[in-house]
Amino acid sequence: MILQELARYYDRKALDPDPSRRLPAFGLEDKEIRFVIEIAQDGRVNQLRDTQRIEGKKRRVRSFLVPQGTKKTSGVTANLLWDKAQYVIGLQRPRKGKAKESPHASFRRRIEELPATARTDAGVRAVLAALDRDDWSILQAHEAWADIVDRDPLMAFQLVGDADLLVCQRPAVVAAALEQLNSDDAPIVMCLVDGQPRPLKRVHDAIKGVMGPRPETNIVSFNERAFESYGKNERQGENAPIGQRAAFAYKTALNDLLRKDSRQRIQVGDASTVFWADRSSTFEELFPDLFGSHDDPDRGVAAVKALFDSLKTGQLPVGERDARFFVLGLAPNAARLSVRFWLHEPLAKLAPRIAQHFHDLDIARSNDEWSRRQFTANDLLAASGSPTQRPGEDTVYSYSHRRHVRVARSLSGQLMQSILRGMPYPSGLLTDVVGRIRAEASAKERDGRRIDHVSSVRAAVIRASLNRRIRFDRNSNKEYSMALDRTHPDTFYRLGRLFATYERIQRASADRELNRTIRDSFFGAAMTSPRGVIPRLARLAEVHLRDIARDKPGLAAFFERELYEIVSDVPVESFAPAMARLEEQARFALGYYHQRHVPKKESTEPTATEEA
Amino acid sequence: MQSKRYCLEVTADFACFTRPEMKVERVSYDVITPSAARAVFDAIFWKPAIRWHVRRIEVLKPIRWMNLRRNEVVSKVPIGAVRTAMAAGTGNLGIYVDDSDERAQRAGLFLRDVAYRLHADLEVRADRSDPEPPQKFFAIFERRAETGQCVNQPYLGCREFSVNRFRLVTDAQKEPAPITEDRDLGWMLYDMDFASAVDPQPLFFRARMQDGVVECDWREVAKVDGSGVAR
Repeated sequence: MILQELARYYDRKALDPDPSRRLPAFGLEDKEIRFVIEIAQDGRVNQLRDTQRIEGKKRRVRSFLVPQGTKKTSGVTANLLWDKAQYVIGLQRPRKGKAKESPHASFRRRIEELPATARTDAGVRAVLAALDRDDWSILQAHEAWADIVDRDPLMAFQLVGDADLLVCQRPAVVAAALEQLNSDDAPIVMCLVDGQPRPLKRVHDAIKGVMGPRPETNIVSFNERAFESYGKNERQGENAPIGQRAAFAYKTALNDLLRKDSRQRIQVGDASTVFWADRSSTFEELFPDLFGSHDDPDRGVAAVKALFDSLKTGQLPVGERDARFFVLGLAPNAARLSVRFWLHEPLAKLAPRIAQHFHDLDIARSNDEWSRRQFTANDLLAASGSPTQRPGEDTVYSYSHRRHVRVARSLSGQLMQSILRGMPYPSGLLTDVVGRIRAEASAKERDGRRIDHVSSVRAAVIRASLNRRIRFDRNSNKEYSMALDRTHPDTFYRLGRLFATYERIQRASADRELNRTIRDSFFGAAMTSPRGVIPRLARLAEVHLRDIARDKPGLAAFFERELYEIVSDVPVESFAPAMARLEEQARFALGYYHQRHVPKKESTEPTATEEA
Repeated sequence: MQSKRYCLEVTADFACFTRPEMKVERVSYDVITPSAARAVFDAIFWKPAIRWHVRRIEVLKPIRWMNLRRNEVVSKVPIGAVRTAMAAGTGNLGIYVDDSDERAQRAGLFLRDVAYRLHADLEVRADRSDPEPPQKFFAIFERRAETGQCVNQPYLGCREFSVNRFRLVTDAQKEPAPITEDRDLGWMLYDMDFASAVDPQPLFFRARMQDGVVECDWREVAKVDGSGVAR
C-alpha cells in the first residue's frame, strides 16, 4: 500500500500544470550538478562554470533534469554525459578494488554505445572531441580546482551556443536514454504495485533525504542471504517483484517529499515524516506547521487557529472532507529504512483528532517568548529526554531547557500514531516525563540557576496524557483543566498544590532570596511517598506562618485560607497515602504546576507576585 | 472435486503478514493474507491428498500496530553443513548473534491484538492415491479442529507470532459481526505458485475489505500472462 500510494502521488504530480512543481518523467531525475564544462563544437574547452550560489548561510547548487543515473556501488558504472569528476575528466581518486576499466573509460564507452541518432548529435560529437583532446588545463586554472580535486563533484557538458541546455538534456540524447531504459534484459513479472506485467526492477534506487548517518538508503533491498526467500538467492529484486516504472514512480515521489525545502515533511525524533493526500488539498502543506518546525512560531499558531476555525464552523472545504491523507514515518536502520508508522485516514477523521491533541495540550503558561509557541511533536519528546553531551541519532533538541536530550527511539513513532489515531499517548512518554521531574527536582544548570523541573511542556504532557486516558477508558474520573482547578477532588493533585503552597510560604517567610527550598530537599519524596514527608512539611509551614504573621498578618491569613481550601474536601483517612503510583505522581506534579501558575486575575493575595 | 467449507476463528497477540517489498525491515499487511490463512488450516490438518482454498476473511478486531526492533542474523545455515552433520551424527550448526559480523538489527511494524474468522474449502483431490472417500478427510479435520490438535502450533505470518486460540465455528450466524470498516488494501499477496518447485512465483490479487470482510476469489488472482490461476 505504501509504495502504491506513493506511485499514485507521483502520477498526480507528474501532471501538475505548473512545471516548477511537476515531477520528472520516467527516466529522468533532478540532480544537483555543480560544474558545467562549456565546450566549443570542436571540443575545445571554453570555460568552467560553477553553479553554486551562496544564499545567506546556505550553499545552493543548481538542479538539472538529467537522464537517470545508475546506482553507484563499489563497482564502476558511468552515467550518461554527467557524472563525478573522476568519470568525466579522469580525475585520479583512490579506488577500492580492481575494476575492469577506469571510470573515465567507462564514461566514454557509455557515450560511444549510444545509438547512431544520438552519436551524430552536435553536442555529443563535441563531447567526444573534448574527451579526445583530454585537455583540461582551463579547469585546472579555475579557482575552484582545489575543491574539485578534493570533493570529486558532479560535472556535465554544455555546448557553446546552447542557451540553457546541457548536452545530456539535448532532445536526441534524452530520447536515446529513454530507449536504453526499456531494453534492459529484465524478466517480465507481475508488479505488486500496479498489478501489471512489467520489466522487473532488479536493484532499487536510493531514497535521499531521510535524516540519519547515511545520505542514501533503501526501503526495498535484499543484500544478505537471510533476507531472501524461496530460493531467490542473490537475485535481489526478484524477492519482491516491482516493475521499473513503479519503482521509478515511488522513488521520485518519496525523494520529492523528503527534499530539503519540502513543505510536506517534518522530523519527529529519528523519524523523517512525510504527508500527502490523494488529491490536492490546502491541508497538505499545513501539516509541518502543525507539528514541526520552530523556525516561525507564528506560523504554527496560525495553522492551528486555521484548523480550529475550519472545524468549529463544521466547514472543511467540501472537496477536502473526504480527501485521504497519508502519513509515513521513515527512520534509518543500519543500511536500510524502516517504517516507523504508516497511516491513512480521510481528513474528516484526521482533523478533529489533531485539533483534540492541541486542545489537550493547552496549559496555563507564564507570559514569555516561549509561551507564544505551540508545542511541536519534538517538544513533547524532548520533555521526556535525559540530558546528553553528544547529539546523535537518538537525541532531540529541547527548546524548553536549551540542551540536547536522549529520547527513546520508539517514542517518536508511537507518539505520532497516538496523535493521528486519537489514542492515548504512549505510556512510555508519561513514564519518562515523570522520571525526569523526579530526577531534576534539585538539579541546577551550570550557572547555578535552577532547572524548571516541572516545565510548561511537561505539565502539558501530563495533563494531555491523563485526560486522553480518562476519555479512552471512559471511567468516571474528572478531567484536568488548563489552569488551576480549585474544585478538583483528586488527592494527589491537591497534594501537589499543597506542596507548592508550602514552598511559597517558606519563601515568603524568608528575609532573603533562598537558594534551597523544600523543593530541593523534599519534592521527590513528597511525590513518591507523601506520608513520610507531608506531616513534617506541615510543621515547617506552621513555623513559617508564624514568622509571616509577625510582620504581615494579612499575608499569613491569605496563606491559611489557601491551605484550608486545599485540604478541606479531602477525607482524613485518604490524605497523605504511603506510596504513589506513576499516574498519581503525575497528578501531583500537575497540581504543583497549576498552583504556581495562577492567572493574575484570580489571585486574591494582598501582594500578588509570582516567583520562579 | 469434492470440497467442504469450514470456518476457523483465530486470535493472537501479534501478527506479521510481511509485505514482500519490505521484507527486511518488516511491514505487515493490514489484514491476514490468504496464504497465511492457509497455513493455519495446514497446521491443523494436511496431506498430499487434500488442498485448502481460502475463500473469505473476516476481521474481528480493529487494526492496531506496534513497532519492534530485534537482533537477527544475516546468514542462512548452509545445506552442505547440515548434510555433513547428519552423516557424521554430530556437528555445530549454530549461527551466533553475538558475532558482530552476523548481527543485523531489523525493525518491524507489526499488528497486535488480532482476531479473524477464516473461511476455507477443504478440497479432496480427485487425483489422490488414497482410495478412501472424502468423508474420511472431512471427519479427520473436524475432529482435530474441535479437540485443538495440530501438527505445529498455528502462527500468523511469522512463526514467533503463534495463535493463542483457534476454534472451529459451526454456525457463523451466531457469531459476533466483524468490524464495520471499509479499506482498500491494494494488491495483496495471494499465495505462492509452486508449479516450479525451484522458482516459486508470487501471486497477487486486488484486495478490498468491506464491512470487515475480504473475499479471496481465486478467479481474480492475476498472473503475468494475464490468465487467472487454474485452481
